[in-house]
Amino acid sequence: MNAQFLGEHLLPGKLGQFFVILSFGSALLSAISYYFATIKDKSTDNSWQAIARIAFIINILAVLGIGICLFYIIYNHLFEYHYAWSHSSKTLPVYYIISCFWEGQEGSFWLWMFWQSVLGSVLLWKAKSWENAVITTVMLSQTFLASMLIGVEIWGTRIGSSPFILLRQAMEAPIFSRPDYLSLIQDGNGLNPLLQNYWMVIHPPTLFLGFASMIIPFSFAIAGLWQKRYNEWVKPALPWALFAVMVLGAGIIMGSFWAYEALNFGGFWAWDPVENASIIPWLTLIAAVHVMLAYRNSGHAYFTATFLVLISFVLVLYASFLTRSGILGDTSVHAFTSLGMSWHLLIFLFTFLFIATLLLVSRWKGLPITKKDEETYSREFWLFIGALVLTVACIQIIATTSIPVFNTVFGTKMAPPINIIQHYNKWQAPFALVVMIISGFTQFLKYKRSNPKQFWVRMLAIAAVAIPLAAGIIYFTQVYTQLIFILLIYSAILSILANGQILIEAFKGKWKLAGSSVAHIGFALLLVGSLIAAATNKVISVNRTGIGFGDEFAKSNNPKENVILYQHEPITMDRYTVTYLGDSVVGANTFYHVKYQIIDKKTGVVKENFDLYPNAQQNAKMRQIIASPDTRHYLLHDIYTHVSSVPLKEPTEHEHHEGHSEDEQYQKPVIRLVSIGDTVHFRDGFVHVKEIKRGITVQNIPIAKGDVAISLALDVKTKGKNYRVEPIYLLKKNQVFDFGKTIDEAGLKFRFSNIYPDKNKLELMIYQKPQAAKNWIVMKAIIFPYINLFWIGGILMVIGFLISIFRRNKEVGL
Amino acid sequence: MKKTAIIGISVIAIAIAVIICTYTDSSTYGSFAEAKSSQTELHVVGKLNKERVMVYDPRKDANYFSFYMTDNKGLACKVIFNGAKPQDFERSEQIVLTGKMIDDEFHASKILMKCPSKYTKDQVEITGNNPSTKS
Repeated sequence: MNAQFLGEHLLPGKLGQFFVILSFGSALLSAISYYFATIKDKSTDNSWQAIARIAFIINILAVLGIGICLFYIIYNHLFEYHYAWSHSSKTLPVYYIISCFWEGQEGSFWLWMFWQSVLGSVLLWKAKSWENAVITTVMLSQTFLASMLIGVEIWGTRIGSSPFILLRQAMEAPIFSRPDYLSLIQDGNGLNPLLQNYWMVIHPPTLFLGFASMIIPFSFAIAGLWQKRYNEWVKPALPWALFAVMVLGAGIIMGSFWAYEALNFGGFWAWDPVENASIIPWLTLIAAVHVMLAYRNSGHAYFTATFLVLISFVLVLYASFLTRSGILGDTSVHAFTSLGMSWHLLIFLFTFLFIATLLLVSRWKGLPITKKDEETYSREFWLFIGALVLTVACIQIIATTSIPVFNTVFGTKMAPPINIIQHYNKWQAPFALVVMIISGFTQFLKYKRSNPKQFWVRMLAIAAVAIPLAAGIIYFTQVYTQLIFILLIYSAILSILANGQILIEAFKGKWKLAGSSVAHIGFALLLVGSLIAAATNKVISVNRTGIGFGDEFAKSNNPKENVILYQHEPITMDRYTVTYLGDSVVGANTFYHVKYQIIDKKTGVVKENFDLYPNAQQNAKMRQIIASPDTRHYLLHDIYTHVSSVPLKEPTEHEHHEGHSEDEQYQKPVIRLVSIGDTVHFRDGFVHVKEIKRGITVQNIPIAKGDVAISLALDVKTKGKNYRVEPIYLLKKNQVFDFGKTIDEAGLKFRFSNIYPDKNKLELMIYQKPQAAKNWIVMKAIIFPYINLFWIGGILMVIGFLISIFRRNKEVGL
Repeated sequence: MKKTAIIGISVIAIAIAVIICTYTDSSTYGSFAEAKSSQTELHVVGKLNKERVMVYDPRKDANYFSFYMTDNKGLACKVIFNGAKPQDFERSEQIVLTGKMIDDEFHASKILMKCPSKYTKDQVEITGNNPSTKS
């Protein structure tokens, strides 16, 4: 089709596509050149290295070029591009444009490439003798990532998916036969509202930096095997491994916080396959860091350290295969949709797995594996055991997450466990328990050999002190419902005390030694926080109209957890009096104003008062809402609220017809013939006919002789209020007029419309406004106790890693 | 024998045991007919039956939602969910229910939807003044 299309901007896309190809070519050239630079004798010939470096720098420029072109397209709303059309819209605030990058797979691959370039640059500058071998592997990974973006067809199969594809190339639709099709496309599809959250601007880049940085310890391990520098690679790789663990850990916790703040599943961790995909490589690399330390200080556990470092990056690739290939299918709500790149991702995965296996096997005989046994009373032994426990815990997560993969490979039809969260918690709790205990007592062991007597003295002292402390915490937080909870709290306290003791010693000496103890304390706090919050969180929006709330742990079978709130009608939830006060619309969001109060029953004094604004994106056309919670944070607990269902706002049409009488806004009147002293009931109250007043004056109307002007005094009682109205009846020149009286506040109007002297009756017309549809929301409210421990623990853990990085980096001597 | 070797073997043994136990925890996918005959909790995959009535009236009960789903074998069955109606349920392309059959009604404890959300579906929506002619 050679048709000309009006208004298209093809330059940025062509330029972008050029940069994609350039980044692929330069990455490949750099990887090949670095490979030859590594295997050739450097002392005689530096030309390979020179080529590799130039290609590397071109690659950085190409990656930046892709990013700039893509940003230009999204920023200028060039909807002729599929990426801009499907991930952005004109109404999107500028600061969320950056989030559009990672809503799509292509953009997230770019982000990964970008970080790999940044990290590679640091290596170029710092890696010295490791540069050639390490960057070879990094650039091989960069080549694979770039190939994901190529999006050209070779022999009938499309390789990768380009972010620069045009809308008319991406899909077929009749409008594309029109040269002016672009003028019909007014706006893009917009960014998923759940991603329009400030955490979503910062969480994906952090997570991808974590994933990207895992290539570096991997590359060091490969280089160590490749160049037979078995003993050397651990030292420079250690700060990098710590960096990867820190950044990925921070990314995971940010994701958890985003889920808690912006998603309405009511928690901070759901064991969703996508979450698992990020925690799996994190756990193995944590284990790797521990055995790397064991190896550096004792010479033991070389193979375990190498293996765990290698497998961690392979698992990063497995994680991206899981989340990006569409294989998770119906087990995950938020995996990427498939772009038909499964095989491409698998080649990436198996290439790296193959390289790692090949090197391990071919170098097996030369590996510095000790024949000696470790001492039981030694730190290295328990670092090793701890790492193994983490690995087994990780295997469990991989096993359950991989059920869809298992089904695909073996053609089985297994479904994930019925209660997935319970399933994981049940399995992970014992592992956590063992890890906690080991991370506690190992602090009292020295490398190589410790004095068992000294160890037991310190250990038992801590174990004894931990008992009353743990008992107090368990009592106050009420987590005594299950034995495993009690044991977990105790083991976490044990770990905190043991590491706290080390921390105090570290403060006396050098603060840089504090890294591990701070990280361990952080991890223990995180565990305590998540345990208490998950075990004792309480849904307070319990619907009392239903059946009673039974066993707290059978929540999934007893989900009467939503209540309806009518506007201005307070209901009691737990200690709170909760009132829905109305909604307000800001942009695409409707915010529901919910007031929480604690009112003293005796004195009526409001002791606590706060407002929450859970919101929902309403889309009347799509008949859907997308709800986000709002949470009141206290030091010791949070009150979390989200709307589950709201009346959909119909697009309001303001029709103003001429010639409408005022009475049209009322319902058909009730007509009654009354006498003085009668009482007439209407929908929301009653009216008492008091008396007739004669000879009254009517404004602006002169009353001549023979005219009759009388009024009817009515006492109206409606909705708990009393009113007095006096509608007027006027007979002027034998013509009847009447002047009705309204009570606007109550939506009522009364007319004194006729007199029947023969029957001695008066005609009273009562007009009522139609009952306003009562505004309502259905909401759910949960109290999360001590959830701040979870966040504080997470932050401490990251700080701990940071301190360790400084220490280990100094040891490298850079 | 070396201590690490013993530990290594036992770790492998534990890992295998963990994997086997994990898979025994797993559930099965089935149809409504199987749910009826087995009377156990399982997963049923199907599509929302849009011709039959869907009930969610929060003013009566905010925790009662019922609808009809047609499973992959073509059998339609009434489904009851004790909770609020999930967001954009009508637009779901596929539904995975977890629950069991009680008296010819499927009581779901969990509903998982696959939506062709407007963010992923490739369908050009024309919002211009002059709708295109389908030529």
